[in-house]
Amino acid sequence: MQLTVNILVLAAIYALVSCGYVLIYRVSRVLNLAHGELMMLGAYGLFATASLFSGHPLLAIAVAALLALTVGGLVYVFLMRRMTGEAVLAAVLTTIALGILLRGAMILVWTAQEQHPLEALGFSSSSISVGDARISTVSAVLILTTAAVYAGLHLFLHYTSWGIRMRAAGQNPLLAAQRGVGLHAIYALAWGLATFTGGLAGMLIASDAGLDQTMVVIGLKAFPAALVGGLDSLVGALIGSLIVATAEVLLIYYVDPLLSDVVPFFVLLAMLIVRPWGLFGSKEELDRV
Amino acid sequence: MNPTLLRVDKLEVVYHRVLTAVQGVSLHVGKGQIVTLLGTNGAGKTTTLRAISGFLGMDDARVTEGSVSYKDERLENRPPHQVTACGIVLVPERNKVFENLTVAENLQVPRAAKGAEPRRLLERTYEYFPALTRLRRREAGYLSGGERQMLVIGSALMCAPELLLVDELSLGLAPLVVDELMRRLQSIRDELGMTILLVEQNAAIALEVADYGYIIENGRIVLDGDPGRLRSHQDIQEFYLGASKGSRRSYRDVKQYRRSRRWYG
Amino acid sequence: MSRPHASGYFRTGYGGEIALLDTRTQKAGLAAFALVLLALPFYDAPFLLDLVNQVLLAVVGAVALMLLTGFAGQVSLGHAGLLAAGAFTTGVLFKEVGAPFWVTLPASALTGAALGVVFGLPSLRLRGLYLAVSTLALHFIVIYAGNEYETRRGFSTGVVIDPPRIGEWVLTDARAWYFVLLGFAAASVLFALNLLRANTGRAWRAIHGREAVAEALGINVPAYKVLAFVISSTLTSIAGCLFAYYRGFVSAEAFSLFLTIQYVAMVIIGGLGSVLGAVLGAVFVTLFPYLIEWLINVLPTPASWANQVFAVNYAAFGLVMILFLVFEPQGLVGIWRRIQNYFLLWPFKHRPLSGSK
Repeated sequence: MQLTVNILVLAAIYALVSCGYVLIYRVSRVLNLAHGELMMLGAYGLFATASLFSGHPLLAIAVAALLALTVGGLVYVFLMRRMTGEAVLAAVLTTIALGILLRGAMILVWTAQEQHPLEALGFSSSSISVGDARISTVSAVLILTTAAVYAGLHLFLHYTSWGIRMRAAGQNPLLAAQRGVGLHAIYALAWGLATFTGGLAGMLIASDAGLDQTMVVIGLKAFPAALVGGLDSLVGALIGSLIVATAEVLLIYYVDPLLSDVVPFFVLLAMLIVRPWGLFGSKEELDRV
Repeated sequence: MNPTLLRVDKLEVVYHRVLTAVQGVSLHVGKGQIVTLLGTNGAGKTTTLRAISGFLGMDDARVTEGSVSYKDERLENRPPHQVTACGIVLVPERNKVFENLTVAENLQVPRAAKGAEPRRLLERTYEYFPALTRLRRREAGYLSGGERQMLVIGSALMCAPELLLVDELSLGLAPLVVDELMRRLQSIRDELGMTILLVEQNAAIALEVADYGYIIENGRIVLDGDPGRLRSHQDIQEFYLGASKGSRRSYRDVKQYRRSRRWYG
Repeated sequence: MSRPHASGYFRTGYGGEIALLDTRTQKAGLAAFALVLLALPFYDAPFLLDLVNQVLLAVVGAVALMLLTGFAGQVSLGHAGLLAAGAFTTGVLFKEVGAPFWVTLPASALTGAALGVVFGLPSLRLRGLYLAVSTLALHFIVIYAGNEYETRRGFSTGVVIDPPRIGEWVLTDARAWYFVLLGFAAASVLFALNLLRANTGRAWRAIHGREAVAEALGINVPAYKVLAFVISSTLTSIAGCLFAYYRGFVSAEAFSLFLTIQYVAMVIIGGLGSVLGAVLGAVFVTLFPYLIEWLINVLPTPASWANQVFAVNYAAFGLVMILFLVFEPQGLVGIWRRIQNYFLLWPFKHRPLSGSK
């Protein structure tokens, strides 16, 4: 039972992180390998607002979330916009470089010490029982948040004009531009939403396990989950996260704890051999690169 | 005499800085007219359309001489969304719909020029293409050729354009379907006062609906006139309308291979 | 690639076309440069010597990656994994059977070749982004294997290795290392240049340009792709073996993703598609941290920065990489060629367009 709970929590983490990868990839064919660092930035943002708005935790959370959204948009407007239209690989390398820049900058501002945003907010960690298993309150909130985010994204992408335009721009940017859709605005929105969800993930993970450099590793491990599901499918990201989380938890428990960081990549490799475009990805993606 | 909406003046388009695709092309489209640009493959029709609609940049091509003016505004070398914002909308030859979106979603994507009401535009589109109503929930990738073409024109209408650029409407479609679509275009022109520049390979059908026509060959306009004049021109009849005099002849007798075409008649 | 001459191209035969050096000036320049290189270690500055040794080590790895990514066009994000493979082969063989360097070096090369096949197989099916991702996954798997070895065999802080020896003579002196590394670096540069002007190089360029056309021309595309990986990773593993001996120490932590990115940066900042670029990039990226450290001490920076040099390093490195990617995609070689052109063509500004009317 505890195993099942662990799988669900890990899957929720991976799912919340990987929807950021999917959003940006689906819309602009760019793999944002700075997502892990942006996640961490979101968590540090919460840490900062928690101290700023001490005594008003909900306000701190809201402001931090809004900050994450804005930062994502700004990253596009000031950096990634210049790489639009260039080779995809150059854009991906730019995100890698951005990640490195952010990591260095974050250490300089906040030091490499472990921080605890949860305490800064004024909460203390607690846990609840589910059957004979235990799950921390924050983790439970995380699972609910992931569900809410996915539901919200689905509604946005399928029932609002801008969501539909976002999907259109992902499929055929030229045609979208010719139909009056401003591509830069769409891409900025995608980056904003992706950083928003990533920031949420970062905040929740930091509240549960503390905020330190290992968060970036989680960001990197979630990427195989996105790819296994298909880099342009949100449903795929959910399923992929479940698969990777299950494999990871089971293998750690039954085989070798050291495997934790490498299992997602085994799954990734297997998927690339068998079905490179993932479970739910569109096959055409392969030829685009 | 209709006021000129679009004027292309001695247009020259060069690819990769060395290949001249279009040279000295001049045409003008009056408001409320259907003007057709005819030519075979590689004549320069699509390049001309691209020059007008702003898509040259992607292919490393530039307008090196001449101009494209729309209502006295210079348009050459401008990006596509600016051209669309002026009221010129392209119905492309390829990659015309969003394959993984439904028909309804396809029609929701376009952003109309300011002031236009989306709901009214949508109703209008369904009026002209009632077949789309029952196809609302179908993914665009699964539509037949004719349905797809209807969707493209419909989505172009959703931008509330003043000038419609139609690229090879008839390609790959059955004659009946092409007929139907051409009639729709005519209704759109008649009822909405739309101006249409129709680029076509199928000269017969184009000359039936057009008010004026230009023939482009090897990047140059070689003849222009109203449909009557064009249809009665000997060379047009032979090269574009497939008429030939008398019985079967061997290829050696075909004028096309024996002499260069003379466009002075 | 033809050297720019101020007024045209003067090839008269195939030999001239593939020659490495054309003019007497070039030959004289190279001779002078070689003299400088040979005299360098006798200038008494041990810190400088260590720096140069690191640069030379980096050159081997950079050339290897340039062959793969810059010329054959196969993206690889698994470079650190291959370096680790070479280093760990050396470490394992040394610790387990006490193998000397003339066994470990070829063994590392063989490991590299074998891994090259493994890394290269995905390239038959995947391209660009997906290929990069597959190499990334393989990198993590190799590092995991290294970690497993360390933990299982109790070398949690890393494997210590004795320096190479021939009979009584032990290779510890920095100057001696300089000549050894110079030899390896020069050999890899020469090897790369020769490979590139032979069939293999031309096949790679064709595949990089347009794969379908290369196939239509009768080039065995899958074989050449895998060959690119194999050659590149063999060279990289050799570099890894050299790393291990030079540091005297092998630890999985040293082969992080950041190391891969540093090598990718060498190739990008240097300029894709040029062996000179690999060398320039290796010099730049290796010296960069020292430059940053010097700048921190010289410029008025916040006090905390001096304590967290590695963080400043990270941030500055990321920034510089972004600047090159956005503003100078052709890298240092691009800048070098622009300067070269300026002096060669002065007072004219532009080269004549080939094939213009």
